[in-house]
Amino acid sequence: MPVVTVLLRSLLRYGPLHRGEDLLCSHTQPLTDEQPQQLHFRHFNPLSTLNYSTQSTDVYKHHEQKKICISRPKYRDGRRDRAVKVYTINLESNYLMIQGVPAIGVMTELIQLCALYGAVEEYRPLDEYPAEEFTEVYLVKFQKLTSARAAKRRMDEKSFYGGLLHVCYVPEYETFEDTRLKLQDRRRYIIRAVRNKAREKEQKEAVNEKPTSSEKATTSETVIARYEKTVSSSSCQASLDKDRGTEQRLTLNQAPAAVRFVPRTTHLENRKRRMEEAADHSLTDVTINNEPLIGPKLPEPPKLDMEDVSLNTTANLIRNTLKKVESVPDLKPVEKKVKPRRRI
Amino acid sequence: MWKKDSSEGSDRFEYLQTLVTEFQDTDSEEAKEQVLANLANFAYDPNNMENLRELQVPDLFLDMLTEENANFVEFGMGGLCNLSMDPECRDVILQGNGISLVTNCLSNQREETVLSAITTLMNLTTPSSRAEITDPAILQCMLRFSLSESPRLRSLAAVFLQDCCSQEQVARAEQQMQGQQSAVGIPLPKD
Repeated sequence: MPVVTVLLRSLLRYGPLHRGEDLLCSHTQPLTDEQPQQLHFRHFNPLSTLNYSTQSTDVYKHHEQKKICISRPKYRDGRRDRAVKVYTINLESNYLMIQGVPAIGVMTELIQLCALYGAVEEYRPLDEYPAEEFTEVYLVKFQKLTSARAAKRRMDEKSFYGGLLHVCYVPEYETFEDTRLKLQDRRRYIIRAVRNKAREKEQKEAVNEKPTSSEKATTSETVIARYEKTVSSSSCQASLDKDRGTEQRLTLNQAPAAVRFVPRTTHLENRKRRMEEAADHSLTDVTINNEPLIGPKLPEPPKLDMEDVSLNTTANLIRNTLKKVESVPDLKPVEKKVKPRRRI
Repeated sequence: MWKKDSSEGSDRFEYLQTLVTEFQDTDSEEAKEQVLANLANFAYDPNNMENLRELQVPDLFLDMLTEENANFVEFGMGGLCNLSMDPECRDVILQGNGISLVTNCLSNQREETVLSAITTLMNLTTPSSRAEITDPAILQCMLRFSLSESPRLRSLAAVFLQDCCSQEQVARAEQQMQGQQSAVGIPLPKD
């Protein structure tokens, strides 16, 4: 069977089989096309967190800082210089390795800096890891992946007490449970995010459909109706695959790329009309009110009764005071005492 | 980075569309690699998944898996790993013969590619695809990986075995491996 052959070949590429106790010997075949630099002691126990005994300190490919890409055309050249690299959930980790820390006793300051991005669970210096002269390397374990992500983004390539930090993810320090939880969290987050987006889209479509379906013949209405027609005729020329996307975009935003200009007054009128309609519907349409409300309800704005006399209390007070002041006879202007000037 | 206003959705779509167009039109390998990496990274953000699906990017990534260029394969596999977390993208990938293409990547030279393949297979597991994904050949491969030198490979393969298959399936695969043990160690002919 071809699949089995392919898979058997893969076994040899990844080196001979090792049981747990055989991990003391170095493997004979490189794991990647680039040979990782190996040090002599290899007692790595994958089931311990932050193993304080000597640990595998292979310099993996993902630790290396790749060269910045300088050949990107302007439209896709970001704000920061970046290498060409793909991040997946496997590469990201709540474990970070920080290299280039000046060896001047600033471990506390470093960890304080890390803690700005989120709770730090554990940290230790990686004395065995190859480091540049006069620098130290640290391993930092954050409580959350999101904190590690933020810390990496902000601290990588930044100056720290005269040294340049290089921060990278080190997923090899994760335990089996760490990895499993990481994947589960990520999956849950995606499903939640996708669900929220779908809900938002439905709500937007519900709001946008009302103005276009109404029969009012205002100027703004005719602009939008015509605009959709012109775009929909041109979209027929587009490929079948993109059609659905274009039409979906039309229902969502009434200003796709081709004919984007709509006068500002039109926008304002639209917004006003939508608000009025929403207000009308909130009074009459029961179904909207029955939608499940997620999260705490905002306090309602205090309702004002414009006929209430108390609203004019301050104004009346001022008016009355002014009347009193005017009714008092003119006072004598205060005479300024003129002091004789001293001549020195 | 992206403002939340009414035209933001279409801006995002157009930008991604421009990237896909550049990828299809350019002759430069370097530019293709850059754009592919961009798309794979954009696939990490759930806000982009629908747009990428409409632009048929899952199929683009699948096509990369059979390319000669190792970067194309790695970035394509990474993109699929990111996209396959979304249920709708997952279905598109399954329909595009995803399982067999991704399984072939398990024998790739690059660790990153293999790791992405394992995670993608986990994401592609549905009640209907489970039988194909827990094929004894794949399970045996994962068993070997779970004993590998690399800690990342070990952990990920172990997660696959625990989450995607039953204990009986794993036991059966182990037994089959015992039977084959005498054959292991004899070097296979080089290509």
